[in-house]
Amino acid sequence: MNRRKLLSLLGISPALLAGATAKASSKNPKAAAPVAHAKITALNPKGLPPPVQLVPMAPRLASLDGKTIFLVSDGFPGADHFLAQVALWFQKNMPGVKTEYRLKAGAFADDDPKLNAEIKASGNAVIMAIGH
Amino acid sequence: MGFPTAPLVTIAFKDLAKSNAASRGMPLERICFTPHPVWGKSDAEMYAYLEGDDPVTGKPLMKEITDALTLPLTADEKKTGTVDISTGPPTYTDTADALQQYYLDNGMTDFMQIVLPTDERLAAMLKGTSHKPDEMVGKMSPARGSYPDWQFTVKHVAINAVMAGAKPEYLPTILAIAETGLTSLSSSTNSFATAAVINGPIRDTLNMNYGIGAMGPFSQPNAAIGRAWTMLSRNLSNSGIPGQTYLGTLGNSVNYNNLIIAENEKNSPWTPFSVQKGFKQDENVVSVFVGFSISQGQGGIGLGVKPVPQYHEAIAYNCIPFGPLFGALVVCDPLVAQGLVELGYKTKEQLADWLQKNTLISAKNARSTLFAGRWVPDANTPDDSMIPYYRSPDWYNFVVVGGQTNPYHMVANMSYRVSISIDKWA
Repeated sequence: MNRRKLLSLLGISPALLAGATAKASSKNPKAAAPVAHAKITALNPKGLPPPVQLVPMAPRLASLDGKTIFLVSDGFPGADHFLAQVALWFQKNMPGVKTEYRLKAGAFADDDPKLNAEIKASGNAVIMAIGH
Repeated sequence: MGFPTAPLVTIAFKDLAKSNAASRGMPLERICFTPHPVWGKSDAEMYAYLEGDDPVTGKPLMKEITDALTLPLTADEKKTGTVDISTGPPTYTDTADALQQYYLDNGMTDFMQIVLPTDERLAAMLKGTSHKPDEMVGKMSPARGSYPDWQFTVKHVAINAVMAGAKPEYLPTILAIAETGLTSLSSSTNSFATAAVINGPIRDTLNMNYGIGAMGPFSQPNAAIGRAWTMLSRNLSNSGIPGQTYLGTLGNSVNYNNLIIAENEKNSPWTPFSVQKGFKQDENVVSVFVGFSISQGQGGIGLGVKPVPQYHEAIAYNCIPFGPLFGALVVCDPLVAQGLVELGYKTKEQLADWLQKNTLISAKNARSTLFAGRWVPDANTPDDSMIPYYRSPDWYNFVVVGGQTNPYHMVANMSYRVSISIDKWA
């Protein structure tokens, strides 16, 4: 068996062992020239972010006393239990505050217009628990 | 929303919450932070969080919350207007080594060497499509609805294709993937992965691998197209910034170049995936999936214990550990697909129907599964009732690929998203 056939059976390309490098460099001598210090210009690959529209925050309350705070969970695990403790804290420390628990509809980041309308109609503020 | 709100976020998501608030126009939003995690803590531990300090400001947490709702707004908090966001200069000039380091240091790569995107290379890449460089391709974000969408043109996609080592003839496929708007670097804490199934004659035109080792690193088009998806996700949607736009706790090595699956249509006894989705067999189509990841499926129940392997039982068994958030993408070697046909599953739809009816979970387990709040069985369903793991057969999808050296299958816990024509980007 000749060497080329044996290498082929072993899955080794005979070309890789038989002077391919020398052939490549002799064909293109410029490719071997030192270019490490040559400066080149490359393009920015970033896309187009939208401009940020600044949104003013809603006016704050003068006091929480006598107000209703909606405790809203976005559905992440544990948020419901945690907000129950927030309700308990208000009960113990600020009994003049009424709390209402709600689970926001939809996926985590979805808006819930129905709940927003309910809060506007019957609440004064929101504490929203987000994350694990 | 129009009413005073105090967002309450665990400390692990500080950067995410702040940058997200800023990108939505409220850079000074009064976000309050708790220790992390909340999930799994006892009531007493959670209450202690509330009695403790906000780990960011060091001030008592409940005081922070009540102040957030009552302290008068500052002038900056009332500001309106528009702020343009810069992504840097259009070009960078330096030595090749310095540029490699610059792209890497500035989060524009997958942390491996790239092909530097020069004007000449971009011009060559753009020869792969008839579309104008400034034509808009689509929009993408790290998680749809949670972050602002970035937009991008043919030129933007082509630059990222160059960086990934793609050839010009791969560009239409990469443009079609970009058009899906699905990032390969989802922001989720779950460390998601993505897959692209490619159908049509372009698999042979590009010399894609759908035989031995089809999903491994053995083919330039498979590798470069997959890598381009991650590169463009990073650069065209701002995905993949750990702590801000990437929260996957373990990460996922599939994200390097994703699952690129050119279906082995020649050796499949079933209808190609794209044809199932309404395309003609001679159309070139990419279909994308997202979900947790993919797992080996050999050795499960039903294989080797009967004279004829019961592939359908093995697939059902392998779907059981899955979370119910996504469906199943079953990847079969042609030998498995042919075996399933011999077992009576003449079509993918027949197999999906059987799997939906026979892959079961107890109502009790379904209720206790993560995200059960959104997928919980009917309240009248007894705990010991066995119910279908997935709600309908179309949660099961099948693709045939592989070199027929062993009757293997794999199952990815992934859902189908959308199919896009590659031909329209030629």
